Amino acid sequence: MTDFLQNCIDGVMFGSGYALLALGFTLLFGVMKRLNLSFGPSIMLGAYAGTWVYLNFSQNVVLVLLATVITTVAVGIYVERLCFWAVRRDATIASMVSSFAIWMQLEEVAMHLLPERTYPFPTFFTSTVIDIGPFFVRSEHISMFLLTLMLLALLHLFLFRTRPGLALRAVADNPLASAYMGINSSSILFLAFAVVSAIGGLAGFLILSADSQVTPYFGLWATFKGLIAMMLGGMGSLPGAILGGLLLGVVEANAFWYGGPVIRDISAYLLLFVMLIVRPGGLVGQRIVARQQAAYERV
Amino acid sequence: MPNDYLLTIISNIGMISLIALSAYLLLISGEISFGQQAYFGISAYAGAIATTLWGWPLWVALLFGSSLAALAAGFVGLLTLRISGLYFSIATLAFAEMVRLSLFELTYQVEIDGELIGPNGAEGFGEIRWIFDNDVSVLEYTLVIYGVLLLVLFCLVLIERSPLGMIFRMLGQDPLLTRVQGLNPVRYKVTAAILAGFIAGLGGTLYAHSFTYIEPQMFNIMLGVHSLAYGLIGGLGTVLGPLLGVAIDIGFLESLRVIQGYRMIVFGGLVALMLIFMPRGILDENRVYRLKNAVRRWFRA
Repeated sequence: MTDFLQNCIDGVMFGSGYALLALGFTLLFGVMKRLNLSFGPSIMLGAYAGTWVYLNFSQNVVLVLLATVITTVAVGIYVERLCFWAVRRDATIASMVSSFAIWMQLEEVAMHLLPERTYPFPTFFTSTVIDIGPFFVRSEHISMFLLTLMLLALLHLFLFRTRPGLALRAVADNPLASAYMGINSSSILFLAFAVVSAIGGLAGFLILSADSQVTPYFGLWATFKGLIAMMLGGMGSLPGAILGGLLLGVVEANAFWYGGPVIRDISAYLLLFVMLIVRPGGLVGQRIVARQQAAYERV
Repeated sequence: MPNDYLLTIISNIGMISLIALSAYLLLISGEISFGQQAYFGISAYAGAIATTLWGWPLWVALLFGSSLAALAAGFVGLLTLRISGLYFSIATLAFAEMVRLSLFELTYQVEIDGELIGPNGAEGFGEIRWIFDNDVSVLEYTLVIYGVLLLVLFCLVLIERSPLGMIFRMLGQDPLLTRVQGLNPVRYKVTAAILAGFIAGLGGTLYAHSFTYIEPQMFNIMLGVHSLAYGLIGGLGTVLGPLLGVAIDIGFLESLRVIQGYRMIVFGGLVALMLIFMPRGILDENRVYRLKNAVRRWFRA
């Protein structure tokens, strides 16, 4: 029982990283109803740029963070203009495949920047183990968790207290109606990509500095974890993305403890597969799916 | 021998075309599958076990592997195609990753001629020696691959001209329309998924025997997304579209060896640019229609 609870604590701590990635996916999907496969790789390129600065230029963590976030945002905007803005709106598959082609491109650019397999990533947090009763928590995980919460609060303020946030939600809710209200959906798309890439860059920085290394697999990893967490929570739902990320973290931590790395990965996919069959709307998005299904049944 | 090298590329194009065709069949029915590599992989393992460990002839193993793949595809389709769209795509991805990870745990070895042979988890499955044991040359095996490919193409053309093919395309255009016609979309989508699984399976068994060595990592998501991309690059208007996509990718990348290290930067950018102007590929429905008319007029005049 203590083991299980300990795993749950670890899972929640690490799951907060997944939650940030899932938030990015959910926001983008909500606004454009199209899937951006190169979200993970663009974060990876940002992290590579950060590492490059760290190795060649300065040991200053703030500079590394800035390089990571700025590069991620720049790459995100590149992806947005090339794969989503320029491609016809109804060509959803074309956008997705196009973002995949750019993924391949980004990976090669990253390999040119830093050709080795593994690089150290600057640790932002000092690592100490804190005892709480019978449980242990690593301090960098607590910092990551707290920073995630702060970021969430900021995002919430942006979405629900500012005019651009309102416009963004309007476009996500009904693109046609928001166009009639005079909202420029192209600039909203741009804004959404910039915000999401900034979140992604921060998430990448936090996850990697808790891991203290970066590998070329990070792009694939980030895209997968973000997608799984988003689908678990419910596509297009912000609270769902957070819950999905935490759930994924808890399940993975327990499966790893009891079964090892392969079992951990299999159980994550099994959970996703079963969730999609039983509750395709995820933890909180069931209502949206039910509404679509009802509209479909009426015809 | 340079000749063999060329043949390997050509046979590679043939085998990858099969998985691209399977993704294409689902694409024209309006579903994106991220999981065709699972059926390719299931059949590769099953077919290779059948010839190497059980001593079956290749064609029986081919049918066995592909049927198993079709069965798995039907099972996944039945479970997931009720809720389509992105849900289906992600569910197929989850299934394919489960298959790939399970292959890491699959160990089934039999002693043949004093050697342990068979799938051995992450070590992979080597010594798939059917080609050598039966004295099949690279050229002959390439012909076998293209024979199978032609047969599949022939069947797909027949399907596309039949009412079934029409229903597939209608599903891709507007599933609601299909329902208004009194047809059950789920049933036809599952049919498309089973057919697609079988076609991917044909490619899988052929692939295992051509390479003589397979490992779980070969059947990862990259294979699946590539096979999707082939249909979209080549065009969704005709069965020749995916073949064109594969030929462009493998052929183009081979000829780009000169700029080693920058291939994906060039190719990825080109694909992204192309999709802006041709969102349904080079040979899309309109272009195929116009080409057909042009050919018809040519012969009439």
